[in-house]
Amino acid sequence: MVVSRDGTLSSTEFYVAASAFSEQWRKFNSALRQWSWVPSPKRPWISHNQVNYMEEGYLSVENVILPELNEEGHRDGDLIEKEECGCAEEDEFIDAAVLIQNDDAGARQYDFHVVYSACYRVPVLYFRAYCSDGQPLLLDDIKKDLPLNSVEQLTRSRWLFITQEEHPQLNRPWYTLHPCGTSEWMKLLQHNDDSAAQGEGIPVDKYLISWFSVVGQVFGLRIPLEMLNLGGTQ
Amino acid sequence: MASETRKVVVHLRATGDAPILKQAKFKIAGTDKFVKVIDFLRRQLHRDTLFVYVNSAFSPNPDELVIDLYNNFGFDGKLVVNYACSMAWG
Repeated sequence: MVVSRDGTLSSTEFYVAASAFSEQWRKFNSALRQWSWVPSPKRPWISHNQVNYMEEGYLSVENVILPELNEEGHRDGDLIEKEECGCAEEDEFIDAAVLIQNDDAGARQYDFHVVYSACYRVPVLYFRAYCSDGQPLLLDDIKKDLPLNSVEQLTRSRWLFITQEEHPQLNRPWYTLHPCGTSEWMKLLQHNDDSAAQGEGIPVDKYLISWFSVVGQVFGLRIPLEMLNLGGTQ
Repeated sequence: MASETRKVVVHLRATGDAPILKQAKFKIAGTDKFVKVIDFLRRQLHRDTLFVYVNSAFSPNPDELVIDLYNNFGFDGKLVVNYACSMAWG
């Protein structure tokens, strides 16, 4: 079993982690939008020796509608686009976005991409949001969709939390969560005071589940507890 | 009475440079959300940003019910919650 001891991953390990994550997600969230692997476009001017084409890419889930915030600024219910998933399998509701807009004027959609950063050796979340008419949302609008904790965090550390940067694979401006601290808090996550497991690190195939438990909270997204039960690591 | 609101023993464990609490174990109603544990820690430690996690594997959503966390990750009659003071994105 390959493990991450210092909170970082190699690019090959990222591919393994991404495959395991999307597989687990499918198993426990079959009714929700699914994560899929998008291979990078081939760039002929870059030598691909020794690199598997398939393993270069990113993890993506798109057209996600965030669950409603409750009065405490948290999210009720389970995860991504609760409202929409009911329609997902019924072809007559093709225009799901419009359908939702009728009962919720603020129906905004989110695209999330998890891209590997070779510089920090960690996964980085890139995201963008848009209205149902395709109009992209600016951070001030996105803020209204975020749980209270994230809004406070934005106020505290304006430039070190969510910023707009070039999507490394699409070369367009996307919002991103700052990656500098990721390996540190991933290391913390695996820390286990007095258990025999100390120092073992996080198995690579569970890495993104742990990672998303933190990153998802920025948007108030939840992971089912069964999915978090990482194989009886008591 | 007891059967209606089941209490869960939460064991708060400091990691890294986080200060250790005088009272590290306390009982909380299972019907409470995890945010109550986080808020308690924030007040005790006077910190806005805390990193709180369980089972050495994940950080629970504040909306999770304590009883659900206990049922999934409780061990030895208690739910161990680790906390660290440093949590930085950038």
